[in-house]
Amino acid sequence: MKKEVVAMLLAGGQGSRLYVLTGKVAKPAIPFGGKYRIIDFPLSNCVNSGIDTVGVLTQYQPLELNSYIGSGQPWDLDQSEGGVHILPPYVAQGDQGTWYKGTANAIYQNIGFIDLYDPEYVVILSGDHIYKMDYAKMVDRHKRSGAACTISVMEVPWDEAPRFGIMNVDGEDNVVEFEEKPRNPKSNLASMGIYCFSWKELRKYLVEDEGDPVSQNDFGKNIIPNMLADGKKMVAYRFAGYWKDVGTLDSLWDANMDMLAREGGLDVFDNEWPIYARAPRKAPAFLGQNAMVSHSVITQGSTIEGTVENSVVAHSVAVGAGAAVRYSVVMPGAVIAPGAVVEYAIVGEGAHIGAGAKVGAGPETAKDPDQWGIAVVGPFCCIADGETVAPNKMLDRNHEEVLRK
Amino acid sequence: MNRMHGIIFAYGKCEKMQGLVEHRVVDSTPYAARYRMIDFMLSSMVNAGVMDVGIVMQDKYQSMLDHLGSGKDWDLSRKHGGLRLLPAAPKSDPSRGFRGKMEALAAIESYIQRIRQEYVILANGALVCNMPMGDILDEHIRSGADITCVCAPRRINGQSTTYLVAGDGTITDVVSRGGEEGCGALETYVMSKKLLLELIAECDGHNECSFHRAVLQGMKDRLKLHAYLFTGYAARILSVADYYERSMELLRSDVRRDLFTPERPIRTKDRSDASTYYGPGSKCISSLISDGCIIEGEVENSIIFRGVHVAKGAKVSDCIVMQDTVIHSGVTLKYAIADKNVTITEGRTLMGHSSYPLVISKFSVV
Repeated sequence: MKKEVVAMLLAGGQGSRLYVLTGKVAKPAIPFGGKYRIIDFPLSNCVNSGIDTVGVLTQYQPLELNSYIGSGQPWDLDQSEGGVHILPPYVAQGDQGTWYKGTANAIYQNIGFIDLYDPEYVVILSGDHIYKMDYAKMVDRHKRSGAACTISVMEVPWDEAPRFGIMNVDGEDNVVEFEEKPRNPKSNLASMGIYCFSWKELRKYLVEDEGDPVSQNDFGKNIIPNMLADGKKMVAYRFAGYWKDVGTLDSLWDANMDMLAREGGLDVFDNEWPIYARAPRKAPAFLGQNAMVSHSVITQGSTIEGTVENSVVAHSVAVGAGAAVRYSVVMPGAVIAPGAVVEYAIVGEGAHIGAGAKVGAGPETAKDPDQWGIAVVGPFCCIADGETVAPNKMLDRNHEEVLRK
Repeated sequence: MNRMHGIIFAYGKCEKMQGLVEHRVVDSTPYAARYRMIDFMLSSMVNAGVMDVGIVMQDKYQSMLDHLGSGKDWDLSRKHGGLRLLPAAPKSDPSRGFRGKMEALAAIESYIQRIRQEYVILANGALVCNMPMGDILDEHIRSGADITCVCAPRRINGQSTTYLVAGDGTITDVVSRGGEEGCGALETYVMSKKLLLELIAECDGHNECSFHRAVLQGMKDRLKLHAYLFTGYAARILSVADYYERSMELLRSDVRRDLFTPERPIRTKDRSDASTYYGPGSKCISSLISDGCIIEGEVENSIIFRGVHVAKGAKVSDCIVMQDTVIHSGVTLKYAIADKNVTITEGRTLMGHSSYPLVISKFSVV
């Protein structure tokens, strides 16, 4: 069945900069904002934009992500034609298949999937961004401009521009040059890693790129520069609003904190652009008689007997009497035992913080600000009663310290 | 698995529920901060592997239809079987209400004939409990009984029928207005489909409408009635006072542990709400709070449903506030039950009493 637009969501990255959090799960399956997982944002954006056919390219630790997506029903992506499809690497005729070598190769290996729907346009998305975006507007811009490729961009502060892929554009926002992490940026329009291609053009470039033995088979490094070099019409689509790459521990923590301040642009209470999630069946949250909750979110299934301030608490979390959680992200099923103090930390799924333990501390306590950072307790890690986990320290599920590179 | 068919009677009318049932039946009344009463019975069935459930409805069923939809939130949206909504009326006079369960069953007889399972469980949609229905069926088969009747150790509030039970679990007498002796009837029954059809035919032929009187009392010497003792929490809600009291019991951890046992989760319609946000300076204690709320004021001893907004400076205590209700700043609300989508405007003070909670009807603006 023909579809005008098919979205392809790149969800196979290892997420190594999230260290212990991605030990057993793919990055897009990481819990976010209490109720959600990262992938809920691009999936909900697709549905809200009217895109009903989505391929999710998985490779690294896909089991939890696969089970989370399931039939796609929570996002209304359980369609009789189209819907959401998990696309792992596979073996083709004569041992042709391989692991996905790069972002472009992942799409190349699934040309057959896209061809099933014979689309006019293909939208390429990342599974590690938190944002709300109407892809239909980008596709509209793409159609009107008659471009081969439309790249979603946003203005970033000039001093941060050297960290991004920067698009240099002319007066009509045609992309004239693309520079990956330029030392002296000529523009502050950063690529968001969100592309809309005319499928015929992209298909041709994917096949050619596959034939190039020195290519890294990557959109940013190969496909986009090749198209530019050939003089293809490429336009920028300017996005304004909240967008964050949550590929690092700090940015993941930041984005969670951003969610608490709705006026910052990430408003998940907005009925016009709902973010859907697969919600576990849990009883409502219970706040005990000594609970003190302030500027925080709490999710169903949680029991709060202590203090929670400036924090994001996911479902089925227990915060015991006399315990305090401040400026922290607590993932599903974690237990903060009575009297424990958790500050400036990420507590992974199912972790157990023993009674009276102390995890993390505020930046004001640090002697050397460069040595300070958020503390991270990996999923299912057990912190003993009275134990101290220093700021910037990270423990994996076996309670072994992991160093940040 | 899939040995038993579920039938839920969900047409409960109850004047003492006042404004709460103005637009709905008792069975679809919101309960426990994110559920409707029927969710408990329906989930109990689904958790026991019941794959086909018929819901008998009559009058005021829009809210039930809206809640259950295709049944997909209970995994009952199926090619074969699954959830079947059965609006029905008495065969002899469709204009009046059912005089009893046998009359309701006679009205859906053709549906029952097509049931593909050997056993049937009959239950009330307005009984709040989390029953291990798989165990009930196992015991029914083991005991060799004709009908297994589920009962509580004692008479539960709002239910007058008691069973006198012998040591082997056989029910020796069914008492309509009993004293404190005997077990409290929970009006949940397991029997074979074959027996159910025979009972329907016999009662229909003799113009008998009441399961209780015609079957349990009338045939107790002919049929082997077995009591299954359910020791968990059960609440039968027949009035606003019951509703308020039973709701407030949910603030007790033992009651919640019982109703929300993790092995048998209660399912309900999914709304995709965000996590609840508690603002700076908010105070929220001893309360059951659902997702999707924004709490900026003070909440104490209350049950707050999905999507409720309590503005800064508002004080809500000993209240039940149903979905999407907005409480503006400066409001004091005490001992009140605010139905869905109510707006309480700035500065209002509304107070009921623990013995007589104030009911504010759906969509009203105060």
